[in-house]
Amino acid sequence: MKNIKLFTFLAAILILLVACKKEENNPSVAETGTVKLMLTHRWDANNSTNFLLDLPLVHPVTNDTLTFTTFNYYLTNVRLKKADGTWWVHPESYFLVNLSDTTSFELAIPNVPIGTYSAMEYTLGVDSLRNVSGAQGGALAISNNMFWSWSTGYIMTKAEGISNNSSSGSFSFHLAGFEGPDNVVTKRTFDFITQIPLTVKNGKIIEVHYLVNPMHLWDNSPSVSVLNNIATTGNNAKVMAKTFYNSIIFDHFN
Amino acid sequence: MKYSSLLVIGFSFLVFFSCKKESTTPTVTPFAFVKPAHFPAPNYTFVGNEVTQDRFDLGKQLFYDPILSLNNTVSCAKCHDQAHGFSDHNIKFSNGVDGTLGERNSPALSNLAWYPNFMWDGGVNHIEVLSVAPITNQLEMKETIANVVAKLNASTNYKTKFKKAYNIDLITDQYMLKALGQFMGMLVSSDSKYDRVYTGKATFTASEENGYTLFKTNCVSCHAEPLTTDFSFRNNGIDTQFTDLGRGQITQNASDNGKFRVPNLRNITITYPYMHDGRFFTLAQVVDHYSNGIKQSTTVDPIFQNTTGFNFSPTEKLDLIAFLKTLTDNTYLANPLYQK
Repeated sequence: MKNIKLFTFLAAILILLVACKKEENNPSVAETGTVKLMLTHRWDANNSTNFLLDLPLVHPVTNDTLTFTTFNYYLTNVRLKKADGTWWVHPESYFLVNLSDTTSFELAIPNVPIGTYSAMEYTLGVDSLRNVSGAQGGALAISNNMFWSWSTGYIMTKAEGISNNSSSGSFSFHLAGFEGPDNVVTKRTFDFITQIPLTVKNGKIIEVHYLVNPMHLWDNSPSVSVLNNIATTGNNAKVMAKTFYNSIIFDHFN
Repeated sequence: MKYSSLLVIGFSFLVFFSCKKESTTPTVTPFAFVKPAHFPAPNYTFVGNEVTQDRFDLGKQLFYDPILSLNNTVSCAKCHDQAHGFSDHNIKFSNGVDGTLGERNSPALSNLAWYPNFMWDGGVNHIEVLSVAPITNQLEMKETIANVVAKLNASTNYKTKFKKAYNIDLITDQYMLKALGQFMGMLVSSDSKYDRVYTGKATFTASEENGYTLFKTNCVSCHAEPLTTDFSFRNNGIDTQFTDLGRGQITQNASDNGKFRVPNLRNITITYPYMHDGRFFTLAQVVDHYSNGIKQSTTVDPIFQNTTGFNFSPTEKLDLIAFLKTLTDNTYLANPLYQK
């Protein structure tokens, strides 16, 4: 009698345990590491000067003296090219780089499957879908002040500051446009040297360093004495954004 | 033995309950967006912002709360009053913070879920980001989104309601905007006499019927039925030169200069004054304009090219106005669901 009771009791506990086991078809945890995009902001033709806010910088081509007070830009949709040629896609991949916040220069991409990757791709600007899909959060929150309320869309790059070369004493470039001929959104693909691919190891962080140089806003754009303000989409915005975006270069792994 | 059987039954119950799935919402949801049978499919379907009473109520509270403005004096409802079809109180331009005047007539709000874009110039592309424009406009609520969010987070009342509606502990602009979007998307006007005639539940008077015939002949190419707008932007011949570029300001295309949204005509009788700048105070003036007042310009709508208008007779004008009056939806104007 007592044994039966004990048996029933144990059986019941067993049922409880088994019945409540979480449905988990893959108990082995996938091995992953973290990829960190490290953005270094430089100035001058040889990337020889640090790019900092609130510091007078002379543009090597236009000779304008520019003191930046704001410099923000979106870097989004990071993907990594696997050995088999397919892409690993970082979900919800939206970063706002803000020059007044050094922590925003390090973009951490966790949970990347281990292995070697031959290329990294990312987008400068915010894809059109997120510009037409209503209220967004995180880096895309409207409270980040990178959004046009009067003509919906994200400001992809915002560069503001003061300059004696400008007739108004200041400059303000809000570079936006996500569709049609005025689209500034730029996809960049960085192929790594075959012998030195991006290698993600379990539980480790691999840094991928890029050089970002805002001087290239003026590669094909005139001095602030000629153009000191962009507040709509159009060719001026496109030219300025594109030369800047296309100037970003991969530097090294760490 | 009996005792052990009890134990087994008891444990079976435990198993049953302990494994019960966390149910999200009760199966009965009486609160929902209802598409009027005679309307087409809406543009906004509340995806990612599914309709619940808590979300709607929160959106309504925000809509009526001046906390959204710089000095807590101007709410959305101030310039979008339900009794006036959610337009302003029959004034040309609305007063913002510190009494500054806006530059365009406050549009009446209804059936926004069907709009592909918003504002007189269509500059806003989604109902969830619609409120950003009036909140941040210097002539309107003159506030920053970041400040609004900070003020809301300082309110225990709002923190509780956001938690209940969206299950968030920290209020963000994303959810504030979703709540406002939900309230505005739920503003459905579909019970005017026009709607009841359209659905076979009522009949027009002889004058209204004549007016409706004139409307179908001359007006529906822009004021498409049953929503009374095709949502397009057109130059209806009110100016030869444009002080306000309208749609052209958004597209930066000169061929869009002087074009404005074809407005939805529901509750038109009470939402005077008319046009984007509120230049006409009466429906008679509006009808006179379309009858003989069309002005030519580079972008005037094709149907008005080389004509001064439809040349209505005095009786036809009265009939047309009689018809327009049937677009008043008293059910909408007095709907307790939308009241503060």
